[in-house]
Amino acid sequence: MTELLAFGRFEVARLLRSWKFLAITVGFPVIFYMLFLSDHSPGKVVDGAVPWRVYLMVSMCSFGALIAALNAGGSRLSTERASGWARQLRVTPIPAWSYVATKVAASMLVVVPVLVMVEVVGSAFGGVQLGLSTWVELTALLWVAAFPFAVLGVFVGFMVNAETAYPVVTALMFVLGYFGGLFSPVGHMPQAMQTAARALPSFHHASLGLALLDGHGFGIQDALVLAAYSGVLSLAVLWKHRVEESRGLA
Amino acid sequence: MRFDGVVRRYGKHVALDHLDLQVAQGETVALLGPNGAGKSTTISLLLGLLRPHAGFVEVLGTSARQAVAQGRVGAMLQTGSGSGLPPSVRVSSALQLVRRLYRRPAPFELTVERAGIADLLGRQTHRLSGGQAQRVRFAVAIAGDPELVFLDEPTAAMDVDSRRSFWRMMRQFGAEGRTIVFATHHLEEADVIADRVVVINRGQVVANGPGATLKAAVATRQVRFVTDDPDEVLLDQLEGVTDVVVRGVGVTLNSLDADATVKALVHHGVEFSDLEVTGAGLEDAFVALTECDPTSNERRAR
Repeated sequence: MTELLAFGRFEVARLLRSWKFLAITVGFPVIFYMLFLSDHSPGKVVDGAVPWRVYLMVSMCSFGALIAALNAGGSRLSTERASGWARQLRVTPIPAWSYVATKVAASMLVVVPVLVMVEVVGSAFGGVQLGLSTWVELTALLWVAAFPFAVLGVFVGFMVNAETAYPVVTALMFVLGYFGGLFSPVGHMPQAMQTAARALPSFHHASLGLALLDGHGFGIQDALVLAAYSGVLSLAVLWKHRVEESRGLA
Repeated sequence: MRFDGVVRRYGKHVALDHLDLQVAQGETVALLGPNGAGKSTTISLLLGLLRPHAGFVEVLGTSARQAVAQGRVGAMLQTGSGSGLPPSVRVSSALQLVRRLYRRPAPFELTVERAGIADLLGRQTHRLSGGQAQRVRFAVAIAGDPELVFLDEPTAAMDVDSRRSFWRMMRQFGAEGRTIVFATHHLEEADVIADRVVVINRGQVVANGPGATLKAAVATRQVRFVTDDPDEVLLDQLEGVTDVVVRGVGVTLNSLDADATVKALVHHGVEFSDLEVTGAGLEDAFVALTECDPTSNERRAR
């Protein structure tokens, strides 16, 4: 157990020290949010009842969580695998699963400052007024709901090599962002795209947050879709890990 | 450490073909062989990174995985172009982390001293030269104070000086009673460090014995020259000659005693030109060894 804690601490320390990575990961969604805010029209309403400013903040939280998780998992993992470090860890006493688990946990950790920063901007400049308990609830909900993103990041890190990781991560970011309705509300899209959006985890991540702020409470359907994604992607990671292990690569 | 009739395939390619191998505690053993002979596969199986398709692998009286999980094994793997180290951290923190993954690690300072990396501790892992990274990876391999260490081509891409100092480190570590198994394709490296050299080719042990024994087995020279109308029967009977290859007017003789062979050529009045005597390459040595009767080699080894 102390071995696992040591490994976890090492990973976190390494993450915190790579301030360039953190600055970009936190800064990108915040800047993106600011750009969208300049188009701020106070009375605008989205998809029936949700005020534009609320939609925008929650969407940027989702987008930020997505970026953070994909970058922390995908890009870093593939770099480490290329360096041979991942394989070296396999010949130390810590169990094989702990490497994957630590990566998912580290990705989840990076999501926290991103959510907080976007919310700070939302509260200061985005015109979003919430009670303290609602802020806390929203943050916790969006954080837990980011789990499938973290697993997706790790899966990408396992599937692609260091050179292709960046383009793949970037493509996923924008596909999931755009088609998940994070840049422009799903209600404004043609019917086919709306259907597609409802199949994406990014849509349901934002939808979960919006339902909470909208007074609809807990979006069970969104939660189920996100849980299903988590399950399928986790299995995919385990499968990939096992295949690599049988080839002696993991 | 024991290997009994181990078979490992990659698709249709058979990497290890019923390989038998035993290493006693405290021994330093070299796995010598050309690229693709099965050395790395052997080490991967010994570390539990791969499972055998047939046969039996035992490490420190238990399974390979168990031995690794108990922290009794250390390893320096081949990393291709990568450093084998975590990117963008200091050498010291990477080494400290690895120590913490073991229950009874060696003291930090001792590992640093053994691997000779005191001057590298403050460096970032991605700013190390190839040879420096290899020293750090050696430190990583021995940080847990393992009983058994596997080194897969530890001096690949090192220059002569760093290679020699690395050999000194390995010998010292072995002298402390550790078991070391290392893969190499340098005959000299195997000869200088190992108590015993196991030659592997095409997934099988083709020779097994102290370095000197193998050296004798592979101490053949090639004598090459050009002559009109070569007489194969005569050439084959010359002193020292073990093999004759004639291609048109070009003749290649494998000889155990090049001097005697050349004298015999003169003595028999063979008209030759473009005479060339070379030490047989390692590839030829493997051919020589592969053609030997494996059982007779076994006997010589004991």
